[in-house]
Amino acid sequence: MSKSVKKFYISLIVIALLVIFFFASGPLYIVKEGYQAVITRFGSISGTHTVAGLYFKVPFIDQVTTYPKLILSTDGDLQRIPTKENQFIVVDTTSRWRITDPVQFYKSFKTLDSAYNRLSDIIDSSTRTVITANRLSEIVRSSNIINERTTGAAEAEDDETKEIESLVNVNNVNESVTRGRGELCREMTEDANKLVPEYGIEVIDIVPRQIKYSDELTQSVYNRMIKERNQVAQAYRSLGEGKKAEWMGKLENEKRTISSGAYKKSEELKGAADAQAARIYADAYNKDPEFYTFWKSMESYKSTLKNYDATYSTNMDYFKYLYSADGKR
Amino acid sequence: MGKINKESVKRFFSKPSTVIWIIVIIVALIAVESNFYSVDETEQAVITRFGKYNTTVGPGLHLKLPFGIDKNYNIPVKVVQTEQFGFSTVKEGRNNEYRNNIVDESTMLTGDLNIINVEWIIQYRIVDPKAWLFNVQERTQTIRDISRSVINTLVGDRAILDVMGQERSNIEVQSQEMMNQNFKQLGLGINIIAVKLQNIVPPQGVQDAFEDVNKATQDMNRFINEGKEAYNSEIPKAQGEADQQIQIAQGYAAERVNEAKGDVARFNAVYDEYRRAPKVTRERIYLETMDDLFSSDTKPTLIDGKLGNILPVKSLTGGSSVSPSSSSSKGAAQ
Repeated sequence: MSKSVKKFYISLIVIALLVIFFFASGPLYIVKEGYQAVITRFGSISGTHTVAGLYFKVPFIDQVTTYPKLILSTDGDLQRIPTKENQFIVVDTTSRWRITDPVQFYKSFKTLDSAYNRLSDIIDSSTRTVITANRLSEIVRSSNIINERTTGAAEAEDDETKEIESLVNVNNVNESVTRGRGELCREMTEDANKLVPEYGIEVIDIVPRQIKYSDELTQSVYNRMIKERNQVAQAYRSLGEGKKAEWMGKLENEKRTISSGAYKKSEELKGAADAQAARIYADAYNKDPEFYTFWKSMESYKSTLKNYDATYSTNMDYFKYLYSADGKR
Repeated sequence: MGKINKESVKRFFSKPSTVIWIIVIIVALIAVESNFYSVDETEQAVITRFGKYNTTVGPGLHLKLPFGIDKNYNIPVKVVQTEQFGFSTVKEGRNNEYRNNIVDESTMLTGDLNIINVEWIIQYRIVDPKAWLFNVQERTQTIRDISRSVINTLVGDRAILDVMGQERSNIEVQSQEMMNQNFKQLGLGINIIAVKLQNIVPPQGVQDAFEDVNKATQDMNRFINEGKEAYNSEIPKAQGEADQQIQIAQGYAAERVNEAKGDVARFNAVYDEYRRAPKVTRERIYLETMDDLFSSDTKPTLIDGKLGNILPVKSLTGGSSVSPSSSSSKGAAQ
C-alpha cells in the first residue's frame, strides 16, 4: 500500500470520527411543533425557544429541556366532598392546562411529573373550596329549565293526564339555582389560576367529569327513588280503582234511573189509557145508565154463569109462562 | 468474480475512489428510501421540516427531504371515529358483543338529584390535521373527558323522567353543540358528527320500582276497563229492558183504549136498536141470555118454585155441593 493511500484512509477515518463526534455532541437540535425548549448553561437559564425549528447550541455546555406547548390534561383525584348542606358527594374532576412560561416552569418543577403532582393538588383544593361552599343542586344543575318544563307539561295535555300529574308531582318543585355548574366551574378555574401563574402555568378549565353520591349516601338515595316511584305507582293504581268505582257508580245510577224511568213512563201510559177508556165508557153509558146495567148484566151472566154448576128456581121471570099462557102465576 | 483472498482485498482498498463511490451509493440509497411517502385516500399528511410545521398534503405519493429533515404524519381525516361511554364493544363482527354497565362512566346525577345510568357514543372526524397534532397532547382522553362532562352537565339539568323520555333527543342535539364549542375552544381540530344516547336506565337497585310504575299504569287502565266493562255489560241491557217495559205499557194502553172503544161501539149499536123498540129489545136480550144460559154444558138444575117444603136433592157427584138453603135463597133472590 502506498503512503498516499494510507494518508487518505487516515484522513477519511478522522473525518468520519469528527462528523460522528459533532453530531453526537449535538450542536444542532430540533424543537418540534407543539413543544418549547429551555436552554440552560451551567444550570442557569440562558434562553428559550418557543417556536419550532432547528437550533444550535454549544456542545457539552448548553443543556436543552423541552416542554410541551400543547394543552395538557390532568385528572383530579376522586374526592369525597361535603356540599353546603353536608351531603357527601364524589367528584371526579379533570382539568386542562398549559405551560405559558417555560422559564418559570423550569424554575418551579424541572420535570413534568412533579408539575402534574402539584397541579393535581391545586385542582383538588379549588374543587373542594368551591363545592363545599355551594348547595348540591348548584353543582349538579346549570339552569332552571327543569322547573319550567314541569309546569309546561302540566298545562299541555288532557284532563286525565293532568289529574295524574297533579297526583304524582306534588311537592316536586326543585329548588332554583342561581349560579349553576358552569359558573362554579369558572370559579374553580379562577381559584386555581390565582395560584399557578408563579409556576408559569395557565389552567384553561376545570370540569367535573362525574358527580355522584358517596357510597353510604347512594343506598338512601335509592330508597328515596324507590319510595317516590312507589308513590307514583300507587297513585296510578288508586286512580284506576277510583275510575272503576266511578264507572260502577255511574252504572248503578243509570241502571236505577233507567228502570225507574221506564216504570214511571209505563204507569203513566197505563193510567192515561185507563182514564181514556173510563171516559169513553162513561160518555157512552151515560146516555142510558139503566139500559147499560141491564145489558151489561146480561153479557156478564152469559160469560160467567155458564161455568157454574148452578141450581135455578122457576120463580125466575124467565119461567113465568111455565105456569100459565098469559104469564100469570 | 474472482477469488477473495488477501491480495484482492488489498487491491480493492488501494483504490480510494472505489471506496468513496460505495459510501456515496449507500448514502444515496438511504436518501431515496426515506424520500418517498404515500398518503392514503382517507388521509391527509402533515409535514414538518426540522420539527416545524411546513405543509399539509392530500392523498398520493409524495417527495420529502431525507434523513428525518422532513417528517410526515398521516392523519385519517375521512374516517369517522367513535368513542363509547358506559359500555364498550368487546368483539366486533356480524354480531357485536358488548360489555355494558361500566357504571364508573355511566352513573350520573339528574337535575332532581336522582341517580341514572346513561350510555352513549360520540362520532367525530378530524377536520384540521394540524390543529389535531399540535394543539392538545392527550387527545383521546381530552375528547372523553369533555364528552363526559357535557353529558353530565346536560343530564344534571333535567328531571330523571325527562332524561329517560322526551328530552332524550334534545340532549343529543345540545350535547353535540356544546362538545363542538368546547373542542373548538381547545383547538382540537375535530368535529363531532353525532352524539347518540344509548341505554338510559335507572340504577340496578331501583329498576324494579320503575318497572312497577309501568305495571301500575297498566293496572290503572285495567281497572278503568273493568269499570267500563261492567257498565257496558249492564247499561245497554237495562236500556233495552226499559224500552221493553214501556213498549208493553204502550201495548196495554192501546189495548185498553181499543177495548173501550170496541165495547162502546157495540153498546152504542145495541143501544140504537134498543131506542127504536125498548120493550121488545129488552125482552129479547133477556130471553136470549137465559136461553144461552140454560143450553150450556153444565146443565143447571131447576126447582119448581111452587113446591113447598120439598128438600131439593142434588147429586154430589158433580163435584161441587150446594147447600139447600143457599140454593133456595139464591133462587129466591133471582
